Amino acid sequence: MSTFFAEHAWLVPVFPLAAFAILTAMGRGLKKTGAWIGTIATFVSFVMSLCIAIERVSGSAPDYSRQIDWLQIGNLRLGAGFEVTNLTALMLVIVTLVGFLVNLYSQGYMKDDERISTFFAYVALFTSSMLGLVLSDNLLTFYIFWELVGVCSFLLVGFWFQKPEAKAAAKKAFIVTRIGDLGLLIALLLLFWYMPGHALDFTTIHNVFDTQGGAISTGITTLIALLIFLGAVGKSGQFPLHVWLPDAMEGPTPISALIHAATMVAAGVFLVARTFDIFEASQAAMNTVAIIGAFTAIFAASIGLAQNDIKRILAYSTVSQLGYMMLALGVDNMPAAMFHLFTHAFFKALLFLGAGSVIHSVHTQDIREMGGLGRKMKITAWTFGIGALALSGIPPFSGFWSKDAILTAALDKQPILFVVGVVAAFFTALYMARLFFLVFVGKPREGQHAKESSSVMTIPLIVLAVLATVAGFVETPFNGWFGQWLTGDEGQHHVSGLVMVVSAAVGLLGLYIGWLMYVKGTIRRDVVTSRMPGLVHLLERKYYIDELYGILFVKPLQGIGKALEVFDDYVVDGIVRLTGYSVSALGRLNSRLQSGQVQAYALTALIGIVILLLAIAGRRFW
Amino acid sequence: MPALQTLTWSDTWYLAPEIVLSIAAILLAVVDLFLPKRINRDVIGWLTLVGLIAAAVFVVLQLLSLGSGAPTDSSPGAYNLLAGSYRIDDFGNLLKLVFLGASAFIVFSSLGTVRDEDVPIKGELYYLILPAVLGAMVMSSSGDLITLFIGLELLSITSYVLVATRKRSRISSEAAFKYVVTGGVASAFILYGMSFLYGVTGGTNLLALLKEITPALENYEALLYISFFLMIAGFAVKLALAPFHAWAADVYQGAPTPVTAFLAVVAKGAAFAMLYRIFMNTAFFTMGTEGTMKKDIFLGLTVLAAAAMIVGTVGALRQRNVKRLLALSGVANAGILLTPLALSLTEFHASLFSEFLYFLIAYAFMNIGAFSVLTIVSRDSGNESLTGFAGLYHRAPWTAAAMTILLCSLAGLPVTGGFFGKLFILFGTVQTHTYWLSAILLVTTVVSYAVYFAFIRQMYMRSGALDSGLRMSAPAAITIWICTLATLALGFLPMPILDWIDQIFSIPTDLLLRG
Repeated sequence: MSTFFAEHAWLVPVFPLAAFAILTAMGRGLKKTGAWIGTIATFVSFVMSLCIAIERVSGSAPDYSRQIDWLQIGNLRLGAGFEVTNLTALMLVIVTLVGFLVNLYSQGYMKDDERISTFFAYVALFTSSMLGLVLSDNLLTFYIFWELVGVCSFLLVGFWFQKPEAKAAAKKAFIVTRIGDLGLLIALLLLFWYMPGHALDFTTIHNVFDTQGGAISTGITTLIALLIFLGAVGKSGQFPLHVWLPDAMEGPTPISALIHAATMVAAGVFLVARTFDIFEASQAAMNTVAIIGAFTAIFAASIGLAQNDIKRILAYSTVSQLGYMMLALGVDNMPAAMFHLFTHAFFKALLFLGAGSVIHSVHTQDIREMGGLGRKMKITAWTFGIGALALSGIPPFSGFWSKDAILTAALDKQPILFVVGVVAAFFTALYMARLFFLVFVGKPREGQHAKESSSVMTIPLIVLAVLATVAGFVETPFNGWFGQWLTGDEGQHHVSGLVMVVSAAVGLLGLYIGWLMYVKGTIRRDVVTSRMPGLVHLLERKYYIDELYGILFVKPLQGIGKALEVFDDYVVDGIVRLTGYSVSALGRLNSRLQSGQVQAYALTALIGIVILLLAIAGRRFW
Repeated sequence: MPALQTLTWSDTWYLAPEIVLSIAAILLAVVDLFLPKRINRDVIGWLTLVGLIAAAVFVVLQLLSLGSGAPTDSSPGAYNLLAGSYRIDDFGNLLKLVFLGASAFIVFSSLGTVRDEDVPIKGELYYLILPAVLGAMVMSSSGDLITLFIGLELLSITSYVLVATRKRSRISSEAAFKYVVTGGVASAFILYGMSFLYGVTGGTNLLALLKEITPALENYEALLYISFFLMIAGFAVKLALAPFHAWAADVYQGAPTPVTAFLAVVAKGAAFAMLYRIFMNTAFFTMGTEGTMKKDIFLGLTVLAAAAMIVGTVGALRQRNVKRLLALSGVANAGILLTPLALSLTEFHASLFSEFLYFLIAYAFMNIGAFSVLTIVSRDSGNESLTGFAGLYHRAPWTAAAMTILLCSLAGLPVTGGFFGKLFILFGTVQTHTYWLSAILLVTTVVSYAVYFAFIRQMYMRSGALDSGLRMSAPAAITIWICTLATLALGFLPMPILDWIDQIFSIPTDLLLRG
């Protein structure tokens, strides 16, 4: 089988990296051209990724990997390299495709921004790091790109740094994900310590955990798996580290679509999928993943019901959907998780870009201030509707098939989690119905002059809408092609009529109730608010998690910070000043020697050698 | 002692690089003399470059003909010429390549950058590089004290002239004068030390010395101590090790910047080459009673290395003049470069030469790059103060970026050649359990961040008086970028280079002159 494109897969991240270099170097003068440089670079990467994927789909090409020795110290060798498997090929296509569409869309969305070329430079760097992460063949390089991706997220969330909220959100995103990163780093060190030959490449990890059970004790395996999962929890916004993701919506909307919906947040899921052998070796870790995933799914979906900011609703929805993916991983069905990641990338990017189109047009993010936009923004409304249907899990849209795969797997392993998943699916449909009907249906607001966005913005919407519709057919209960392609074995593919009926039914029920409440008015909107104001308030305040963290962590840490500041002012600064003083005293002594008098130099040299001779050789003779 | 051999025709092949340089130097001196005044002397610079490259090609050919690994009949490890007073081996060839390459970059980067108002005798500036490099090559390729000393003097005397080429500058003349005096003192120290060595052993050939040194040790221990410590002092002055470094700041400041770069890289490297040649073949074998003398000599070198790191780093902290700052940074780096030799060759520490050469290569690239940036920036701002770098990022972002990488390398931050160079040397100190030296290396490295970050602060966070773009000649720009990329390459791919050195270099034939 041909591996021509796979052999050159390392080029995929190089194109955006080159774009980043060009844009940084001479960005300021480029503006519009700069935007095209970024777009074209991602497009080239996309074509390349597509070729790699086609190559892998058309024949059963063997996995391709290549390493170089990066550093060798004694027996320790650190390699760097890339690996192309079906999993990475899939991720490459998702990242580059969404990246390309977002680039295209941003040309319209960001066209009036002063720092547009900086924006495109950051996006290119992000794309490049994400692709590097996907291609990495070992955990160490993976970790380096993982951190780079985090840095790009920080830069882009805080892109409008003039806004204090954006600055705070960027800081929060960075600090909260750092907690997860620390877990991953410790896991990496543990693996390094315990792995035979200190190997960190995925192939060896696979061999050690999959085939030679017992090489590493179960306790350590569980610990490593949980720490890796902590990293994934941070990046993928899972409970309890989900707090940063909704705040990250302060960044420009295309970024929310690219980073905080379709690609970077999926890195956590990808990490678990990539190191899945470690998780499979520990049932305790698997259960943790499943429970956290299911809990996050329902927890975030319930918050989504009571939010009023269009982007925040979508953000909680992202958290919730990532919870589904984790649930799928936890019930030992990696293909289902990757399948949902695949479909979710398209419909969530679609929804965010649609939301961006709305915001761009009406200049507000509060859905209570919108209404009736459907008539003025036909394309946005239609494509957004398709995204909403896909997210709500209505057949035959893609979200239905992938959610169905997850729910089937959950029913198989943990029926209770299946119930949680179904309830979360109902919530999902309900909040999407609320969102869609409030924004696009109903009476238009007075004084709002909404108009359809330009074609650079609507074309990506249409492309994504098509994908959101059809992407689900790669794996249906009647056609297990995707799962088989991804894992290489048949199995794990049951038709469950019950699940299909239940999942479609709750989706439709959610939409119907939403329609009754927000369009028809049969059910009064304040039906819940009036009966249980406490519950609504709890949801609106997002279960007070932020406040709780404020009291539990931020305040005490600030207290410690204050105490340390005092310590720093008096003790550390004292030492620093002393050091500084002694260094500059030495410096002064030095300048005194440096008098410019050449005879003084010669004398110093003479004294120097006499002292050296007496001190070292002299002691032998006395 | 074998009878003195005369030079044969076949030897000229082995001496080809040296012969090429000699002929080029003489020819260019004549050309410069007869070339009409109105012709730009850059043409001499280009011809100098051709001479350097031609010599380098011959060195590469010899490197290949010597082969790698253990010596065999078809590819002997080394050629001895003139009864062992001249020696073609991998040690010499590798260092010659560094010297020729560094000089070529220095000449190349000054083309179109050195101004006639500053250096009225530009032709001399170019062609005098040739005998200077020739001296450096003799220093790295000799097996006899006298030949080594001749090489040293050839390099030194040419350098004195080179420092003085800014004829209209008082500071340049002063620098040259100081350099003559201190350089003379250093040569005197070395020669005095050598004469004691000759006195107690009766030989100047390093191989012959070796046989005599053990008997001499019994009778003349004190004289040998004096001999070695005098030589240490002399080399310490040449290498600008503290406390023998005071001349460096004055001379570096006064010399034209390309010459400063030459002194910092080639002259320093050549002095190290000579130090390796002499000490690894004499002091290394002074076993004596319980080997105390050998320990003492190498301890002396270690102390000097430590002192240089401390004094250089601390001194650089207070400097605002960039050339003086880089001179003091060079003092600290000389301490680091001395460390592998000072740790000596033991069963735990056999990689001294590869550690040294790797850092020397990294040091050459980062210094030549930094000096090239300095030349351009100081020419533009009209002074050599640190504030000349203010706002460079806003005027020339690429140059600022390149300088940032070079500075990271000087500071020893990853992922650069400077980082790995220091790392390998640090491993050496750990392998030999010289932990106090590791501590000094680490602490001075951290302190040095403050020195180099002062540039970065100026470039990125201060706004300068000028806001027009930076004018620079194409050769200078190319040099800066090659140096920057090489610095990065050394950081990303340290192993191939280190492996290559290890593969070529063999301790018995190349370091210890056996065979």
